[in-house]
Amino acid sequence: MLAAMVATGCRSVYKGLQTDAAAQPECIRQFAPQFTNTLYSAQVDVTKHHLSGLVLLKLMPDSAIRLVFANEMGFKFFDFEYDKDGNFTKHFIIPKMDKKPVVKTLSQDFALVLLHPDLRNAHVARENGELFVVAPTEKGNNYYITDSACTELRRIEKSSRRKPVVRVELRHYQNGIPDSILIKHLNFKFNISLQRVEKK
Amino acid sequence: MRKWLLIMIGGLIGLQSQAQQGFKAVADLTPLKQQFAKAAQATQSIQCDFVQEKNLSMLSDKITSKGKFWFKKDNKVRMEYTQPSYYLLVINGKDIKIKDSQKENKVSGKSNKLFEQINKITVDCVRGTVLDNADFITRAFENPQYYKLEMTPASKALKEYFSKITLLVDKADYGVSKITMAEQSGDDTTISFLHKQLNANIPDALFSAK
Repeated sequence: MLAAMVATGCRSVYKGLQTDAAAQPECIRQFAPQFTNTLYSAQVDVTKHHLSGLVLLKLMPDSAIRLVFANEMGFKFFDFEYDKDGNFTKHFIIPKMDKKPVVKTLSQDFALVLLHPDLRNAHVARENGELFVVAPTEKGNNYYITDSACTELRRIEKSSRRKPVVRVELRHYQNGIPDSILIKHLNFKFNISLQRVEKK
Repeated sequence: MRKWLLIMIGGLIGLQSQAQQGFKAVADLTPLKQQFAKAAQATQSIQCDFVQEKNLSMLSDKITSKGKFWFKKDNKVRMEYTQPSYYLLVINGKDIKIKDSQKENKVSGKSNKLFEQINKITVDCVRGTVLDNADFITRAFENPQYYKLEMTPASKALKEYFSKITLLVDKADYGVSKITMAEQSGDDTTISFLHKQLNANIPDALFSAK
């Protein structure tokens, strides 16, 4: 009994995926948000702490995306840049947050949202009527999960070898931009929720 | 020689920039302090609208927010943001309440150094004692309509956040018309206070922070 439980516990949740060699991973490119100058109201819950603010995503003339998070009163928490190839630059972060694991976690989380994955070694798999674009990473895979025909993005999962550790949902696209974005860490309480607001 | 010439030109440009806006240095702060305190003494309450602009220098962009501001003597402040999203800040003495569209937080100003400083600046501004704040080195300028107070943080903690805070004080009522908080990064946040009503009856319940 114990051996069965241990065996089940160690099994990858993605074990049932069936590879579809004919399908093209590139189909998920259509879901990359077309941020130009987009403002979101942000809610962040980290362990016992809650903070809110505004996130601005701006497409720069060199095709880089700048991402700035400030609180409602104007105090800037961080300013990140992702160039057109997805390379990350930290322009600013408040000293309290300027820790390597914090910057790495945030940069990787928002990279999932920008949806510019390296698909050179990616493949497509299927399970329960869903299509999984599987993009290998250093420590596991990123899964871009859509409906069977790849017309709707259901969720993105950044996973370890066995199970998802971060789940991202991009919902209610309007003109190529999602109205709501949810980033949820599954192994500790760290959630980022963005709701689009009008920028004047 | 060339270096000195450049410094001189730089200095002249700086002087010209102040002069263009018609501001000249106020040498003696004592009369200003007295006038400020006198006007503040007559101010029991303030209510007004505000427009906040967060200027992001590297992005050549800004985020504009709007809302309502209330102050009641001695140390009650309420700032309610309505655009682009809801956010409420209530300061009642040492108690601070923050509410966003999802959650309400109550914090002690004493346990949060930054909030304590913001609290102090806000209350000092409306009480007319801002020039006595030892956390800043203050220089004053004036033109026919305004005083401009340039406050440079003296403490390391504040310097992490601000390079300078500039207050524009209307000579008509010695009330603050505009606050600009400049950050080390080159960004700044400007809050303009509009449609000011002095000494209106504001219920205490508006400042409930417990």
